[in-house]
Amino acid sequence: MRLNIIGLLFGIAFGGVLAASNLHEYDTIHAMLRLDEFDVFWFMASAIAVSAPLLWLLEQRGMRTPFGGELSLSRSRPEKHHLQGGALFGVGWAIAGTCPAPALVMVSSGALLGLVAIPGIFLGLWLRERQQHGAISVGDGEHRETITADRPVGTGPTS
Amino acid sequence: MGVLEEESSIVFDIIPDRLAWYVGGPILGLLIVGLFVIANQPLGASGAYVQTAALLRRQNQIVVWRVWYFVGMFVGGILVTQVLREGAEIRSGYDALRNVFPLWATIPMVFGGATLLGYGAAVAGGCTSGHGMCGTAQRSPASMAVTATFMATAILTTLALRIVTGGDL
Repeated sequence: MRLNIIGLLFGIAFGGVLAASNLHEYDTIHAMLRLDEFDVFWFMASAIAVSAPLLWLLEQRGMRTPFGGELSLSRSRPEKHHLQGGALFGVGWAIAGTCPAPALVMVSSGALLGLVAIPGIFLGLWLRERQQHGAISVGDGEHRETITADRPVGTGPTS
Repeated sequence: MGVLEEESSIVFDIIPDRLAWYVGGPILGLLIVGLFVIANQPLGASGAYVQTAALLRRQNQIVVWRVWYFVGMFVGGILVTQVLREGAEIRSGYDALRNVFPLWATIPMVFGGATLLGYGAAVAGGCTSGHGMCGTAQRSPASMAVTATFMATAILTTLALRIVTGGDL
């Protein structure tokens, strides 16, 4: 239950930062990928520059997290599917000018074509899931089981 | 009335038309650290889509907080664009694309592009947030490979679109 509230708050904060930075606008992403404007590259780089050293430090100290046990960062080796998926993602990203999180904010901002992008993303994820016979893992490290104090994995959407 | 006007101008100062990257980027960095510190989880958006789709299809084994996270991103967008900023109007979006293509061509382009990126994110195991930022912040070689690949193909695709449209896009 508490983790759900945390998820909601982090979503609000993330969506809010994306909206405030205008990352939900096609024109922003397009100008970035045309290399007309480097703000989004700097945005991503500064987010990493802040988070990477802090995560490294916390990992060194073996920090215990309240909801997920000991902090464990995941560092997988690059495999073929990473490059294939990344290549396809990049082409789609350039055409649609949005990616999963900004597409949601696009709709919140009143841009109706976001309602075309979101079903497309769902369809793409589903096509892969079908190809894999229902098995899917998304996000680096998201294959880890999410064990929470109040709701173990597999009990369904009860909380 | 005077007080109200003053208040709204303060709000407008807090959320300017566009937040500078050196403010937004570090805030996002702290959010990434925050979710790891609290839940030992990456702040990935495509995972939220997967869990939301699973919920809508009434599957078992749903990571419910990721559905709340999905809802949160939408709410956060409303908060900033409709409440803290001057209310955004209903519009089509995609101004630069619509200057070049008519609406009947824009819709399949956006849908097709979105399908491709959704499929690609599922194959790669993450998107711009999961691999591009959280994975790279974890110093994951796989995430760095994914990020370098999608940056390269996205820039090349944009260049190709620019050439095909005679420089209009």
